[in-house]
Amino acid sequence: METWVRFSAQSQAKERLFRAAQYACALAGDTLRRNGASAGVLASVRQLEAHLSLGRKLMRLGSSAEALEAAKRAIHLSDMVLRFCVTLSHLNRAMYFACDNVLWAGKTGLVPSVDQEKWGQRSFRYYLFALIVNLSRDAYEIRILMEREANGKRAKGNENGCQLRADNGLQQLGLRLQIQLRLLIRILWNNPPLLLDVVKNACDLFIPLDKLGLYKTNPGFVGLCGLTSSILSILTILHPWLKLKP
Amino acid sequence: MVEESPGDPSGYTQPWFCQSRCKTHHRCRNHSRCRRTKNRAISTFMRATQYTCMLLSYLIERKADKEKLVMKLKQLESSMSSGRKMFRLGNMVHALVAARKTTQLPDVVPRFCLTASNLTRALYFVCDAVLWLKSIGLQPDVDKLKWRNWATKCYYFSLLMNLARDWYEISWRLEQAVQGEKTKENSFWDKHNQELNCVRCGGLHGFLLLLFQILKRHPPLLLDLVKNLCDLSGPLDTLGICKTNPGVIGFCGVLSSLVGILTLASPQLKLKQ
Repeated sequence: METWVRFSAQSQAKERLFRAAQYACALAGDTLRRNGASAGVLASVRQLEAHLSLGRKLMRLGSSAEALEAAKRAIHLSDMVLRFCVTLSHLNRAMYFACDNVLWAGKTGLVPSVDQEKWGQRSFRYYLFALIVNLSRDAYEIRILMEREANGKRAKGNENGCQLRADNGLQQLGLRLQIQLRLLIRILWNNPPLLLDVVKNACDLFIPLDKLGLYKTNPGFVGLCGLTSSILSILTILHPWLKLKP
Repeated sequence: MVEESPGDPSGYTQPWFCQSRCKTHHRCRNHSRCRRTKNRAISTFMRATQYTCMLLSYLIERKADKEKLVMKLKQLESSMSSGRKMFRLGNMVHALVAARKTTQLPDVVPRFCLTASNLTRALYFVCDAVLWLKSIGLQPDVDKLKWRNWATKCYYFSLLMNLARDWYEISWRLEQAVQGEKTKENSFWDKHNQELNCVRCGGLHGFLLLLFQILKRHPPLLLDLVKNLCDLSGPLDTLGICKTNPGVIGFCGVLSSLVGILTLASPQLKLKQ
């Protein structure tokens, strides 16, 4: 019980829980539909999902300002690429939250003239761009770690040189790819925060891709991706060492 | 998460805007402990907005060409209300944990009052969760009136327990002040206790003045008393004990939310358990 109190007292935790619940509803709704559940049950699940979504939008009313603050802080990072990526990501998130606030105002009837479709598309575009920037930041981190590992290996000597002596170019390429892949897996395994961030961003990517029509999947898959990324996010809240710094 | 409406179950008192106060971190917006009370800030602002809408819509309802604005205010109020209900899910655990903590208080009266208050608040949250399920359509066969009645009764009882504790705090301070007055023969030269001379003036007047002095010297106690009295207006109206109008309820709600925001911004103003 104490753990619950400590957990849910943190600012993002409840919002993440509701996000997980929302995507679980989407997944459950799709699964029930495939298995031929009644229209009443499907309608209840859809209604619950809509309520969770609206409630989350209400909780996020101040998030735009927070994202701008985070962007302001990120300008002081030492590494140039990181500085660029993190700042840009926060700025895009700030725009996403601003569009989200407009959508909330429209959904609750405060500003009935809001074009839900247009603003929804706009918000997902910002979200997609933020995720792409996050993934490029992850790629940069991976590249640095791989270079460091490769340099370390080269310093150990040419014991591995014999592995590259293959007969034709294609085999050589295949071997090289295999080595890189193994290196990548080892790096990700030794850096749980980075691995978690990559998986989270990759899962999140499918949501705007589907909503914008760029890569249509089915609602169940989108729900599963959303649920996975929410659970990973909750994990980083429960264990702060799992969060990728900065 | 600590929900503002039925009082404050858990004891987290970190300021939500603590950049200048956090000694361990230079810019502690990211410090997880300092972010803890952001949830309270969110729910307090939502509550303040809800009651402001209630008050404003009552005030401008009668005016001729303001129907659209009134409708918008009512819509905002209802969306804040349902958002708060959703935000409060899971608070029954908070209330139970707080009840467990208050069973270890040294004094008997606060221990009993606060534990009873927290337990009934937990029951209130249970009723609230059931009402939320009904409002989103998941449990359509719930008797809304019955559950709302129960929720209001639980909330009312917990407020009465809080007020009893406030009264206990005031009464032992009153006693202390009167004792101190009696033992000082030459209190006229003591500026600090000068006002206590009015105990001798006797009766209700002296008592009220003494009460006023005590409350002035203990702002946390005064704020807690004001908050509980303001919160009382809602259940009194719903239960039919003292019917008022939405304007009064809205005004009292705004006042108690402002007190809540004040205690969030300056945790030293929060009444310690």
